[in-house]
Amino acid sequence: MIVVEKFGHLVTGTQAYIHLLLPRVSYLTLVTDKVKKHFQKVMRQEDISEIWFEYEGTPLKWHYPIGLLFDLLASSSALPWNITVHFKSFPEKDLLHCPSKDAIEAHFMSCMKEADALKHKSQVINEMQKKDHKQLWMGLQNDRFDQFWAINRKLMEYPAEENGFRYIPFRIYQTTTERPFIQKLFRPVAADGQLHTLGDLLKEVCPSAVAPEDGEKKNQVMIHGIEPMLETPLQWLSEHLSYPDNFLHISIIPQPTD
Amino acid sequence: MEEDEFIGEKTFQRCCAEFIKHSQQIGDSWEWKLSKDCSDGYMCKIHFQIKNEPVMSHPETFTHGQTCLPMEEAFELPSDDCEVIEAPAASQVIKYEYHVLYSCSYQVPVLYFRASFLDGRPLTLKDIWEGVHECYKTRLLQGPWDTITQQEHPILGQPFFVLHPCKTNEFMTPVLKNSRKINKNVNYITSWLSIVGPVVGLNLPLSYAKATSQDERNVD
Repeated sequence: MIVVEKFGHLVTGTQAYIHLLLPRVSYLTLVTDKVKKHFQKVMRQEDISEIWFEYEGTPLKWHYPIGLLFDLLASSSALPWNITVHFKSFPEKDLLHCPSKDAIEAHFMSCMKEADALKHKSQVINEMQKKDHKQLWMGLQNDRFDQFWAINRKLMEYPAEENGFRYIPFRIYQTTTERPFIQKLFRPVAADGQLHTLGDLLKEVCPSAVAPEDGEKKNQVMIHGIEPMLETPLQWLSEHLSYPDNFLHISIIPQPTD
Repeated sequence: MEEDEFIGEKTFQRCCAEFIKHSQQIGDSWEWKLSKDCSDGYMCKIHFQIKNEPVMSHPETFTHGQTCLPMEEAFELPSDDCEVIEAPAASQVIKYEYHVLYSCSYQVPVLYFRASFLDGRPLTLKDIWEGVHECYKTRLLQGPWDTITQQEHPILGQPFFVLHPCKTNEFMTPVLKNSRKINKNVNYITSWLSIVGPVVGLNLPLSYAKATSQDERNVD
């Protein structure tokens, strides 16, 4: 994915644009050091305060994974994704502050802990040592897949006598609602032992997203830029299509009209 | 078999309803707000405070199982209206907003709050921290809270400060176990809020404890 970041205020000409390839699974403020450095070279120090990003007038929440933001806001537009960078007028009412890399780490770990609270009553993550937590974060920060998964695989296990996690960590996002996301308790396995599907989840917690049997498809249900089949077992999706924070971040977007 | 005490969402809502009933009786301004899609809601209270006044003048601890002290009538906790100050400068007035939400992930209530000047300028985490009474600062740094952090409000989508919920059971379990032992009914929300509230300038008049009625069922 290519991002062109155009600076909105005082810089013009070729210096006003920077192209970046951003990882879907990371966070804006974690991967945009180059952006800060680039614009700091061409701007006066006094004009620079906290960096923030915006797309078509919408401030971008740095604490959402980049891939989620793209799917939700820009997937129907042509690449590159034109994001505007700001160094002034931080929108206090809309965005969390991101004072340092530590804040991103704290947020990431907080999401992981919440995911494990749902999957394992926090038992697996609490049994880990601090160095294991650190390894998860460093693996994400430095794009080290093996380093990350050496620890993360433990969070994907479940007791032999069960058929899955206790509850599935998921969040469903739609731009049409005031509510930022839907998150509820949902078990991966039904009482009769059948595995619940993505379709079952949507019917239960977001029925408006799914078209009626005979109706026309109104929405796309997107994870990581693809539309998994609604028959896919939720347990499988949770193990294989979660973001690094162990959540399934699901976007419901209007079906694009070609 | 879990040792920790959790509450389900229905119990949470029931406890909040009881809490708000008493709030209405004493003119405290707690309200229940429904989410736009009406699928859930939260308790909300707004109050105004003059900056630089100590946020809590009476750091009261509220423990269950104690009989009411005869002196409790003499304690007048700060009410919503600042009756003592004459015409404070508008710039010094701070609006505090407290929201009590339910976390289905941790199955406990969570306290969200934010503060701003009347012109809309929000207080920073540093400002908030300065308003916390000294005795709570030490305790806060020791836990069982994982300090105050800024997070997205799950229903409104706006930045709020939060006391992290993951250790709530550490302090609620002994309270609930003790109340069962002495066979006293407990409103989970009242107990919980009386513990976490004062840390961030939110005080509960003692009458909330007495309000827990005889026919209220125990926490599930």
